Amino acid sequence: MKIPAGFLVVCLMFSCFVATSYGVLFSSLKDTLIVTATHTQDQVLKAGEEQITVTWRFNQTYPAGTDSAYKTVKVKLCYAPISQKDRKWRKTVDLLKKDKTCPHKIVARPYTASNNSFTWTIERDIPSAVYFVRAFALNAQEEQVAYGQTTDAHKSSNLFTVQAITGRHVGLDVASICFSAFSVVSLAGFFYMEKRKGKVAQQK
Amino acid sequence: MEEVVQNPDNNDRKFALPVDSEHKATEFRLLSVSTPHMRAFHLSWISFFSCFFSTFAAPPLIPIIRDNLNLTATDIGNAGIASVSGAVFARVAMGTACDLFGPRLASSGLILLTAPAVFLSAIANSPAAFLMVRFFTGFSLATFVSTQFWMSSMFSPTVVGTANGLSAGWGNLGGGVTQLVMPLVYSLIHNNIGSTEFTAWRIAFFFPALFQALSAYAVFFWGQDMPDGNYNTLEKSGEKHKDSFSQVLYHAVTNYRGWILAVAYGYCFGIELTVDNIIAQYFFDRFDVDLNTAGIIAASFGLVNMFSRPIGGLFSDFAAKRYGMRGRLWMLWVVQMGGGLLCLLLGKIGSLGLSVAVMVLFSVFVQAAEGLTFGVVPFVSRRSLGVISGMTGGGGNVGAVLTQVIFFRGSRYSTEEGISLMGVMIMCCSVVIMLIYFPQWGGFFYGPKKGVTEEDYYLSEWSAAEKEQGFHKMSLKFSENSRRQRGRKGAAVPVQSDPPTIV
Repeated sequence: MKIPAGFLVVCLMFSCFVATSYGVLFSSLKDTLIVTATHTQDQVLKAGEEQITVTWRFNQTYPAGTDSAYKTVKVKLCYAPISQKDRKWRKTVDLLKKDKTCPHKIVARPYTASNNSFTWTIERDIPSAVYFVRAFALNAQEEQVAYGQTTDAHKSSNLFTVQAITGRHVGLDVASICFSAFSVVSLAGFFYMEKRKGKVAQQK
Repeated sequence: MEEVVQNPDNNDRKFALPVDSEHKATEFRLLSVSTPHMRAFHLSWISFFSCFFSTFAAPPLIPIIRDNLNLTATDIGNAGIASVSGAVFARVAMGTACDLFGPRLASSGLILLTAPAVFLSAIANSPAAFLMVRFFTGFSLATFVSTQFWMSSMFSPTVVGTANGLSAGWGNLGGGVTQLVMPLVYSLIHNNIGSTEFTAWRIAFFFPALFQALSAYAVFFWGQDMPDGNYNTLEKSGEKHKDSFSQVLYHAVTNYRGWILAVAYGYCFGIELTVDNIIAQYFFDRFDVDLNTAGIIAASFGLVNMFSRPIGGLFSDFAAKRYGMRGRLWMLWVVQMGGGLLCLLLGKIGSLGLSVAVMVLFSVFVQAAEGLTFGVVPFVSRRSLGVISGMTGGGGNVGAVLTQVIFFRGSRYSTEEGISLMGVMIMCCSVVIMLIYFPQWGGFFYGPKKGVTEEDYYLSEWSAAEKEQGFHKMSLKFSENSRRQRGRKGAAVPVQSDPPTIV
């Protein structure tokens, strides 16, 4: 076990030097995209079955040329504050590299100013939570330069809920219960066998 | 499989290993599987390993489980505390069960009774259900007691520290291996078989559950309680007296040394359990490593058990050769203090590489202290060995619960503050080791009382009436065999036969 630990230590020390601490901050991004989705306020959608359609376009009230650097758009599913409560692994951090608000990708498309839409079936690995949709515009260096979202700045309006799959199956339930029962029954069998062996020894 | 039945008074050598007058092995041969001694060793460490593996099977899969069951950080923390609190009482109960029914039935029974909790983890559907399955699965950690009891029944005092250290250390390894294996099993099911995430982790839990159940069957069919046979055979044929539960309990509870060792164990093993539960998130949060890396670091803490706990047992036996029981106590205190110091340091270090290095060193000291504690436990009582082992083991879990509740719940202390404070607590609590005194061998500061023998100490656990009926025979043999705990100086002293009663 000594060799892996030493190797690990060296690896980790190298990774310290390589890690960067600068990056794009969310607060530096401009809200230049208008993003809408087909869900209604507080609607509950079932993962794996139901769909939402997301549309996004450039907000024309901004001066022309603002979007000249936009090359791709990444649309993501993001946690609303209520689903981040007491869950540090979904924390909102201004430094986008460390931000965990929007872990689920919906779609990525090359950027066009209008006529963008995508119908997404909510995937089966999306957990039960309250969400909104956010789109990031990225430049040629794959850095975020602008965004848009379906909710307001406080992330409190126009949210929707996803109800996740349970992951359970009848087969699993049956196997689980049968094996459990078998364990207990076989234990009873063991005790019975022991008692009989004891009686035999007594008779000797 | 036929048990090896032997008349305990018969001294013909029918064993593969050299034995003493109780037919306990005086040598330890790791690569042998000979019946009954080495086979008992391998069965006990593998079954204990499977229990540790199951108990800590959830932590590496938490990122998936927390999304499936909608867990909050509080839910996860509570489940972690629940997983180690069940064993507090289960370990004491297990000690009693070993004294009364023998380690083979006691351990296979407990393992089979807790296997359902692991199977049913696959169908947990809420934070409450998750807490319940972790709580009941944690009961299986009581097999630690049967492991130590079994080793103390099979191996002579000169090698019992080594046997106890290896079986417990390799069992504890399960807590480390699971952090590496469960993600692999999960990936296999998710990627290769194609199950969706929320189903794959459920199927993955059948792996530890089946492993655990199978190990129980192995113990039942291939193990035996004592070198001369199983309890029920020996009892029914009159060779072994079936002891009284109340007497066994009384002699354990009134022996202050058992309580002291429980505290000492709470501050080495309890610390290990605490660290198993919090260390991955510590590295994840403080040093921003990703979840997989945090898991590998967490695993390495537990994997060190492979040699560090056995080394503790070896050191105990080694110190005893020269200085007897006093050497065992001094060694224990030094190593426990060393662990506390390193823990204090760990919380203060801000660089990742150095932090991992200190953590690994800290784990060596903590786990060696565990081995050293169980180098002393077999000598505290012969009649109530099981309950004493159970109390000490239970004390370990109490330490884990206390430490997590005081330092690692809520936001009173940051994790690094908690770790340093934990180190201070370890050092303070290790002072109690200085209070242990064996009249026949001495203690931390004082030497043995003149004229007091091992027989005086061990036979004081039996009343005159019981002695008349000959129930104390095994204690007599044990006294003889434990003469070596006087160390080099005292071993040559002749034994007197006028016994005063001892506390």
